[in-house]
Amino acid sequence: MRRGGEDPRPGLATDDALRAITDTFRSVSAGDFESRVPPIGDTETAIATRTAVNGLLDRVDAFVREAGAASAAAAEGRFYRRFLTTGLQGAFRSSAEQVNQSLDAMSRNAARISQADLARLSLADELESAVLTVSEQVATAATQMGASANGLASFARGAISDAERGLETVTSLRAASDQIRDAVDLINQVASQTRLLALNATIEAARAGSAGKGFAVVASEVKTLANETTSSSEEIMGQVSTVQQAAADAVGVLEGVSRSFREISDLIDGIAVAVDGGAAAGTTGLSQLAEVLRAEVSRFVATIRSS
Amino acid sequence: MRATEVRPTGVERTFGENEMIVTKTDQRGVITYANDLFLQISALREDEAIGRPHNVIRHPDMPRAVFKLLWDVLAERREIFAYVLNLAADGAHYWVLAHVTPSYDGAGRVVGYHSNRRRPAPAAITAVSDLYARLRTAEARAASPRDAVQAGWQALGNELRERGQEYDELVWSLTNGSAR
Repeated sequence: MRRGGEDPRPGLATDDALRAITDTFRSVSAGDFESRVPPIGDTETAIATRTAVNGLLDRVDAFVREAGAASAAAAEGRFYRRFLTTGLQGAFRSSAEQVNQSLDAMSRNAARISQADLARLSLADELESAVLTVSEQVATAATQMGASANGLASFARGAISDAERGLETVTSLRAASDQIRDAVDLINQVASQTRLLALNATIEAARAGSAGKGFAVVASEVKTLANETTSSSEEIMGQVSTVQQAAADAVGVLEGVSRSFREISDLIDGIAVAVDGGAAAGTTGLSQLAEVLRAEVSRFVATIRSS
Repeated sequence: MRATEVRPTGVERTFGENEMIVTKTDQRGVITYANDLFLQISALREDEAIGRPHNVIRHPDMPRAVFKLLWDVLAERREIFAYVLNLAADGAHYWVLAHVTPSYDGAGRVVGYHSNRRRPAPAAITAVSDLYARLRTAEARAASPRDAVQAGWQALGNELRERGQEYDELVWSLTNGSAR
C-alpha cells in the first residue's frame, strides 16, 4: 500500500528516473540480478513504471533461478524437483513447461539406464556363476585326465619293458640255436669220419678173408650208424632253422610292439603336458587355464559391477 | 514503525495464481528489496519493510524448527522450498510456498538471499497445517526457546523418517500432488 501523501518527496525529474532505470537494466543485463529500480518518484506513472520494471526483473530472476536449480536437481537425480511454473505466464510459462518435459524425458532415461544397470549386473552374476561352474568342471576333468594319463604312462612303460625282456629272451634263444648248429656240425664231421673209418675197416676185413668176416659185419653196422647220425643231424638242422626263423619273426613283432608303445607313451606325455602344463616348455596346463579364465572373468565382472 | 507485537486477527489473505511475492535480503536476513505484492499483502510501506529483519512477518503458529531447517539448508548454499504461514502488519495472515535461494556475486560468494513466494494449493496448506500443529505442540512442551527448537526439530525428523522423505521431497510431493 503506497501512501504517497505521507511521503512528500517530490517526483524525480524524468531524466533522473530514466537514468535510474537504465542503470538497473545495465546491471541486470550484466547478470547482476540483485539490482532493482529504486524509488523514482511518487507520481502514479513513476510508481507504475517502477512496479512494472521490477516486476519484469523479478520474473526473469525467478525464471533464471528455477532453470538453474531444476537442471542441477535433475543432474543429481532429484527429478521430483521440477521447474515451478506457478507465478509464470505466457512464454515464461511455456518455456518452463518445456523444461519440465525435458526433465520428464531425463527422468525416463535415468529409469531406463538404471534398469539397464540392473540387467547388466544380473548378466554379470550369471556370467560369473557360469564361468565358475565351467572352470570347476574343467579343473575336475583336468585332475581326472592327469590321473588317467599317469596311469596310461606307467602302463605303457610296463609294456615297453615287457617287450624288451621278450626281445632279450628271443635273442638268447637264437644264440642257443647257433650253439646247437655248431654242435650238429661237429656231430656231422664225426659221422663223416666214422663212415670213412667204416669203409677202411670193410676193405681190411675183406683182405683178411674168412677171418675178417665177423669184423665186416661190425664195420657195416658202424657205417649204418654213421648214416643214421647224418640223417638225424640234417633233421635237427632243419628244426633249428625253423626255430631261428620263428625267433627272427618274434624279434620283428616285439620291436614293432615296443615302437608302438613308445609312440603311445609320447602321446600320453603330450596329454599330461596339456593337462598339467610343462614347466620346462613354459606352457600352461588346462587346470591353470581354467583358473586364468576364472580370474579374468572375475576381473571383468568386477569392472562391470563398478562401472 | 510497526508495533513489535501484532495480534493475528484470523483474517486470511490470498493472492493470484499468476502473482509472485518477491523479497531479497542481505546475508543476515535484513530485507533489501520487496516487490509491490509483498508490501500490499503484508500491509507494510516500503520504508517500513526495507532494513527490517525478515521475521517482521513471522506468524506465531510457525514452528521454529522450519526456520532452523531453512537457515541450515541456506548455510549449505542450497535452495529450499517451504510452506510458510506469514503475518501481515494488520494481523491478517497468508500462506505461501516459499522458494529461498542464495544470491551470489561474480566471484561465487553469497551476497544475500532471494525469496520467491507462490500461492500454495489448498490441499497442500491443509496437510502442512496439520504437520506444523504437531511440531508446535512438541515445541510448546519445551522449557526454553532453545529446547523448543530442539524438540520441534526432533518431531520434524520423526515425521520425515516415518514418511521416508526429506523435507524438500515432502514439499514437492505436496506441490506436485496438488498440481496434478
